[in-house]
Amino acid sequence: MERKRSSRRYYNKRKKTWTQQCKDYLRQFIAFLFSNIGIICLVVGYTIAGAFMFIFIEGTSGNAVAVSERVKANRTGTASRIWDLTCCNEYCEEQWRMEVQVHLKSFQSHVIEAVRNFSYEGEGKEMNRWSFSGSFLYSLSVITTIGYGNVTPRTLLGKLATILYAIVGMPLFLLYLSNIGDILAKSFKWIYAKCCLCRGCKKRRKRMLVIQRKEQWKMDMRDFKLNTGVLTEGEESDDEGTTDGSSSLSFNDMQEVTVPISLCLAIMVGYVSGGAVLFSKWEDWEFFDGSYFCFISLSTIGFGDFVPGGNMTDPGGTGSSSIKSVELGFILCSMYLMLGMALIAMCFNLMQQDVVMKIRTCTDILRRITRCKN
Amino acid sequence: MVPVVGDKSSTGSSSAAAAAVYTDNPKERLKECCRKLVAFMCTQVGVGGLVVGYAVVGAFCFIQIEGQAGDAQQHAVEMLRHNCTADVWNVTATVNVLDEPRWRSQVKDALLRFEKKLALIVKKGYDGKTTEETWSFSAALMFSLSIFTMNGYGNVVPKTMLGKAATVVYAVFGIPLYVLYFRNMGKVLAQTFRWLYTWVYQCSMEDKVGGGDLYNQQLPQKSRVIVPSTACLWVLVAYVAAGTVTFVTLEDWSYMDCMFFCVTSLCKIGIENFGPVGTAKESGVIHPMNLIIKFVYLLLGMGIIAMCFDLMREDVQVRVRNLKMDIGLCFEDIRLRAVAVYRRRNSFD
Repeated sequence: MERKRSSRRYYNKRKKTWTQQCKDYLRQFIAFLFSNIGIICLVVGYTIAGAFMFIFIEGTSGNAVAVSERVKANRTGTASRIWDLTCCNEYCEEQWRMEVQVHLKSFQSHVIEAVRNFSYEGEGKEMNRWSFSGSFLYSLSVITTIGYGNVTPRTLLGKLATILYAIVGMPLFLLYLSNIGDILAKSFKWIYAKCCLCRGCKKRRKRMLVIQRKEQWKMDMRDFKLNTGVLTEGEESDDEGTTDGSSSLSFNDMQEVTVPISLCLAIMVGYVSGGAVLFSKWEDWEFFDGSYFCFISLSTIGFGDFVPGGNMTDPGGTGSSSIKSVELGFILCSMYLMLGMALIAMCFNLMQQDVVMKIRTCTDILRRITRCKN
Repeated sequence: MVPVVGDKSSTGSSSAAAAAVYTDNPKERLKECCRKLVAFMCTQVGVGGLVVGYAVVGAFCFIQIEGQAGDAQQHAVEMLRHNCTADVWNVTATVNVLDEPRWRSQVKDALLRFEKKLALIVKKGYDGKTTEETWSFSAALMFSLSIFTMNGYGNVVPKTMLGKAATVVYAVFGIPLYVLYFRNMGKVLAQTFRWLYTWVYQCSMEDKVGGGDLYNQQLPQKSRVIVPSTACLWVLVAYVAAGTVTFVTLEDWSYMDCMFFCVTSLCKIGIENFGPVGTAKESGVIHPMNLIIKFVYLLLGMGIIAMCFDLMREDVQVRVRNLKMDIGLCFEDIRLRAVAVYRRRNSFD
């Protein structure tokens, strides 16, 4: 009886472990999905949902027709005013020109306002600022807090939706940034460590020496704390440190290696200039303008004076192929931004680690100096 | 003095001690106030002054760089206008004046051409202002603020190459400075707010309880009051509401526009939004005082947001710790119960 029960119990235990293992795997998988890919999907999905929401709110309003009607009315009004001027005034050309200039100026300010604030693009062109790509970029710029401002919501509902969208979306994006930045930092550090170890014997020896010295210091400090003033035991511990150092090198290296700040800066500069080349080819900007755009976007300033997709108003591109290329440009730009922000988060992560490490070594050195004096 | 403080920390039950605490409290409070003030001056004013000075220097630099550059777009628009005038003159000269419909249609065509060309120029960033109007001191101040707070409104934008390079350099140095300010301001404001909250909390407790004895008994428990997240949220909402009301009175914006401006600015999104521009632009000059008020509002608002982050983080940490403890207790309870049940079953068998 007892044996039976024990065997059953044993079986139960085993079964439990099996199910637990399965559960563990599943949980790990879900955690991984939620941490990396899941969060990316969440951000992308949220942005796409926002894009559709803004199209629904802003795109369908009768704004476009009203604005073009208003501009047309203003044009007719200006023409009739000039007519009044022409038929009623005396025929002095200078004065006539002056007054026509005044009328034209008021017409000009009206047109400027229409173009800048109501996305009017001239007679006969449809206003596609709230196309899918445009509103996708808008929602991305809201949750990344770039805020280009080339496309702004005009209706009350659109403004309210933007506020709510930002309040929910910004924490989500911050989560994405910290998560992806962390992962990128870890993987970059690993690659850097591998490269460093494989580069050659000299560097490795140096590295080993540094590690040994560090461990020696640690041992010394411990000894110093344990029995104050006795330095002979500290020397004895040196041998232990060297023997330990060779064995725990591979383990220590991953944690001890810090990527230098200069490399992080180089990565950022390289990313910005790469983006500049990309955009200067894609959007026909100058190289300087492209790098300016990349910097302003990646630092989340986002003036909105340069925005990808701006060349769709060019008179040449009215075919379907240009629209396709514009859409592709938007997608490229959003991918560039999302990756770039994660990369910058990674760089800051690595730089922080490096600075912390340097400060620690400095304090170690200072402590050692004070100890030597004693 | 010292024994009284000891009494205060321990549970003083005698009424005499309570009276002593009451008499000494104002002095202590005053001292504490003074200390807080000095600390505030030391830590905050230095960094705040640095930020404001940096903004002012940046404003002057940008005025120097951008204000002197001739505006090519301005010239282009003037040329367009002249051409349009010449067109209309030609139409008037060639077409018989009595033939009004034909005259009208041709003038309309000329205006349409003018409009199309103008629209293209405006798309490239022309906003109808001369450089002197654009780069007034207040606007430049706002511009430099919008760079290092990462707001980037985009209503004022550098157009020359040198100006763009200066913007990049300015941002590279300004953003770390601003982050320093943000951290510092957040910490100081959080301390102040916590102190204030504790004070108010104690006062309210005192009012509720009434007696001095009970107050003193409860004091040690409330020695470290953690500000709940809801209070922070209320502060934020109140700040946004205050900003909305202020801007409604200052500018001719609607309430929704003002709220939109406040929220997007404080979230560092910074969408350029001048609402119904017609009134503001046709009146010509934007009042410089408004921009200064906006400047102060934004700087203070960033500090308040930092404060809220600080306080909320603490609150969330405490809550998570409590939750962990609760869950641990719960699991322990379940385990004990399971063990008890198992034992009982064993004994039945």
